[in-house]
Amino acid sequence: MTEISKLTELRKLMQSMERTLGLEQLSPVERDIYYAAEELSKSDDEVRTFGLIEHTLVQSVSRPTFFRALKSLVEKGYLSQSGTANRGRYIVHAPK
Amino acid sequence: MRRWATDTFYASLAYIVASLLTFEVLAPLQNMFFAEYPSRASLLFLPHGVRVLAAWLLGWRAVFALLPGVFVVFALLGGSDVFLPSRLMAIVIAVTSVPAVFYICKWVGWDLFPRPDRKPCWACVMAVGIITSFLVSGLTNIAFGSARAEYVAFLIGDISGLFFLMLALYFAFRIADKRG
Repeated sequence: MTEISKLTELRKLMQSMERTLGLEQLSPVERDIYYAAEELSKSDDEVRTFGLIEHTLVQSVSRPTFFRALKSLVEKGYLSQSGTANRGRYIVHAPK
Repeated sequence: MRRWATDTFYASLAYIVASLLTFEVLAPLQNMFFAEYPSRASLLFLPHGVRVLAAWLLGWRAVFALLPGVFVVFALLGGSDVFLPSRLMAIVIAVTSVPAVFYICKWVGWDLFPRPDRKPCWACVMAVGIITSFLVSGLTNIAFGSARAEYVAFLIGDISGLFFLMLALYFAFRIADKRG
């Protein structure tokens, strides 16, 4: 595991405390999509919807729920649509 | 090799900082507010949290990554006594117990080590911390031959130390995210 992925795993562990402790800011589906996007963004600056929807954490989520959650993540500032590329590409941001 | 050095540096540094916080800040507060408690052991032992999280992240490499930090802390607290067999035994117990418990869990089919394709379970990591705390408290008390009050204090300190360290890390990430 690289240094960055260790931090990511540690961060994921801390975020898993959120729900139990009532500190959460994202719904479970939003969180799964965000985890998946964080994971995918390690190999590429931008994340494609196609790659996201096929990620293990997101596979069981229905399409309408997936796209609703994706839109919500963009509205909350966790993801933003890539300005340079086609639709369906996102940049991952740290939670605000 | 560089990754090993980095892991060792950060894990040992985290252990030393957590120990200094525990013994220099929290212990005096504890003595002020729980003066009647018979044990001198810390009731909020943050280094246990560092041990658990390091073992969870690094696996068996945590043994070597934590060793310098644990040795420095024992030397700071006990001076040249750090070379006494009981202290050396306590150091070995401190660095090996948590990775051992994680690997035993994995061996029996409960693999908790982080993987990119699954969500980590903080309650499971806490559970390993609690199991290890029973183990470490018992073994350390055998090594030092301490009283039952010490054993109970070690348990309370380890479990609360792990929980509050994780909580502190959570808020640290949240603050860092807001500033970043």
